[in-house]
Amino acid sequence: MSWLLHLYETYESNLDRVGEIEKRYNDREYTLLPISHTTQNAHIEVEVTEDGEFHSAFIIDKKDASTLIPCTEESASRAGSKIAPYPLHDKLSYVAGDFVAYGGQIKKEEPYAYYIKQLESWAQSPYATAKVRSIYNYLKKGQLIQDLVHVKILCVDADNKLIEKWDKKYEPLYPEKPLIFSTVAGGQDSAFIRFNVHSPKEILTKVWKDREMYDSFIKYYQDLLGSEDICYVTGQKLPSTDRHANKIRNAADKAKLISANDTSGFTFRGRFSQSNEVASISYEVSQKAHNALKWLINRQAKIIDQRVFLVWGNDMPEVADPTEDTFSIDPTPVTLVQKKSFTNQELASEISKALDGYRNDVTSKSEVNIMILDSATTGRMAVLYYRHMNKELYLDRLVKWHSSCAWLHRYRKNEQGEFVQFYGAPATKDIAFAAYGPRANEKIVKGLMERLLPCIVDDLKIPQDIVTSVYQRASNPVSMEKWEWEKTLSIACALINRQEGFKLALDTESNDRDYLFGRLLAVADVLERSALGREETRASNAIRYMNAFSRHPSRTWMTIQQSLQPYQARLGTKANYYSKIIDEVASRIKLEEFNNKPLSGKYLLGFYSQRHELYQKRENNKDVVEASNEEEKSI
Amino acid sequence: MRNSIEFEVYGDYALFTDPLTKLGGEKLSYQIPTYQAMKGILESVYWKPTLIMIVDEVRVMNAIRMESKGIRPIDYSGGNTLANYTYLKQPRYQVKAHFEFNMNRPDLADDRNENKHHNMLKRAVKAGGRRDIFLGTRECQGYVEPCVFGEGKGFYDEVEELHFGHMVHGINYPDETGRNQMEIRLWNPVMRSGIIQFIRPEQCTQVRKVSDMLPKTFNSSNVEFVDRLLAQIGEEGNG
Repeated sequence: MSWLLHLYETYESNLDRVGEIEKRYNDREYTLLPISHTTQNAHIEVEVTEDGEFHSAFIIDKKDASTLIPCTEESASRAGSKIAPYPLHDKLSYVAGDFVAYGGQIKKEEPYAYYIKQLESWAQSPYATAKVRSIYNYLKKGQLIQDLVHVKILCVDADNKLIEKWDKKYEPLYPEKPLIFSTVAGGQDSAFIRFNVHSPKEILTKVWKDREMYDSFIKYYQDLLGSEDICYVTGQKLPSTDRHANKIRNAADKAKLISANDTSGFTFRGRFSQSNEVASISYEVSQKAHNALKWLINRQAKIIDQRVFLVWGNDMPEVADPTEDTFSIDPTPVTLVQKKSFTNQELASEISKALDGYRNDVTSKSEVNIMILDSATTGRMAVLYYRHMNKELYLDRLVKWHSSCAWLHRYRKNEQGEFVQFYGAPATKDIAFAAYGPRANEKIVKGLMERLLPCIVDDLKIPQDIVTSVYQRASNPVSMEKWEWEKTLSIACALINRQEGFKLALDTESNDRDYLFGRLLAVADVLERSALGREETRASNAIRYMNAFSRHPSRTWMTIQQSLQPYQARLGTKANYYSKIIDEVASRIKLEEFNNKPLSGKYLLGFYSQRHELYQKRENNKDVVEASNEEEKSI
Repeated sequence: MRNSIEFEVYGDYALFTDPLTKLGGEKLSYQIPTYQAMKGILESVYWKPTLIMIVDEVRVMNAIRMESKGIRPIDYSGGNTLANYTYLKQPRYQVKAHFEFNMNRPDLADDRNENKHHNMLKRAVKAGGRRDIFLGTRECQGYVEPCVFGEGKGFYDEVEELHFGHMVHGINYPDETGRNQMEIRLWNPVMRSGIIQFIRPEQCTQVRKVSDMLPKTFNSSNVEFVDRLLAQIGEEGNG
């Protein structure tokens, strides 16, 4: 079904959250906006008594500035010299009747006249609340600036005009720089005022947090909407709109998902001559769908270089994110890895358990939407990817991804900041860094993430160029630092393993040529490492020749083996263990396969598993090895 | 049947533009083809104003997948611009359709030879269509082949029911409705086991008038009737 309809449905099923202010981890506030409302940062708060008299005013602290205000279609998209007042809270030039008297600059007509007429018709409509009437009764007197000057919020010069810009010459009048000049970026005349009603008897809900006020304006405004037309999203005959929301990704975002100002580029001209001939959307659906989208993006979207990756459920917005790694879904430390029999089925059931929280919800419609948004130019935004799927199927696909694209990773930190190992799939972002380096351009990262998403949710093959790129970087350890190479290596193993289906535990039975070559390289690496001792951190010969080895295995193996000899000598009989493995592995490679044909990604799996096995052995058999060493010495 | 046809149409990409995204120019494809798109394909295969092509059903063979591309549309006023178009990837459909005579064209009454048109239509499908085929938009080249409807395995065979919300069904042109206006039809398609049963254009309840329009006139000056053509060929053959 259409993405707009699903956004609309999401809004409808979250009506209880409308107007509720929620906070993100970085303390940024966001809300599911009521229709016909928007948010603005206010600078001055004016309190009015119930009888419509001035009560008090103060300058708003920056943290508290965000205000939910009603808006009309015109005011939402006003720009330049266009006069389109917000219905209630607005800038000083609109709300103050004595703006001109105090030296305010206006272009052409007086904004206050428009504003007060609009407010009057709301205040006199049957939907008006007592608060609207109180505010209207006060504002129609047109003495706001006078009152604000009186309580020393606004500042006037000797001629009783508003001071445009703070200057030292005003110091005789105001010894200290008034607060208003540091709050408002422009002049005093661009201050945004919000109104509240004060009652001596009871504590009233703030006007901009009052649901009754929202409903009052929505109902009042409903009557003013334009002509009815068939809505392409719901199919109902409703008042339609041709003005759609911007500021979708953030407050400065001008891009619109639905726009129609292009009458010369032949985007729709030809069969149609007017934009409203192409399609029509009802005001209500457009508002609700866009508000839901903004809310979801604030809540849970990932934004990379302005590209939005969003996943949500229709009824319950929270769903497991496909771009995350297994660790963030199931952060239990992996002790299971030691077990040789740890299989993908076991991992799958672990992940299933971790995802159960999302599964349990058995409401009527358990469906998941996946959406990618981006804009090529500043004005317009496009839907780059949209999938709507059954939640069960989606979670099954996630389990499949996490258990098939799995390997042992060690690059994640836990809450204490310690590195932890986890077994599972890497995050798509980390795959991008593994493929293109840690300084990869964000444009490339977002492109890869978009390409990988269908692989996860549709269980498709990972594009070969990505796998090749990661493989090549993992085969070139000298080009990067140790930790980075280890990360790249484990991610490469995860991607290659998705195609090959090997286990993490060493497969000693495999006679695959590439796998065996990989094992050889690992033994050479571990042998040299153990001869070097802990203090020596330089790369082993095996690691240094890794790149060449992947391209000409038999020739490079000769070089590596020759350079191993001094270390074998140094280790003495201790090297026997490793030499035995080398002999055993090498004997498995068929004579005709011991050639210089380049190795496939499988060799990385062999390398990793063999190395893992050897280190594992050493940890477990430390006592045994040491005991035998003692014996040797005594002889 | 003497007027029905079954064929398969496929391509690398398809763009059945959602009109909501056509307005601004950042096109996004519908998930399934519209009636009008399929009708257009059929009319590219074989067309005559005498006939009205009716699409009966469409079977979605491949999984519905999307892929976006960065596009540089031609700006007719000069300069260039950028946009993101989102296409359907590897679409493949089996289509069942038939033709009926256009009763709004009494001027073409002499051309109503069902058997003849049916055979021509079948030959046109076999040849891959008379004009080039495209899936939704001009840049999405498509290919037509005869097939047996329902044969082979489709991706959605096991999926009981899939809804696609509100969609455009097609466009009413004056020569097919008899009303001198262009209209847009909307409907709610449902896919059952991979098959979308289209309702007939006149069954659509939601019709939106777009603009006034007059039908094009056809007469002996710009149309050659099949019977006459046959007779002509016959004469030549005899002669």
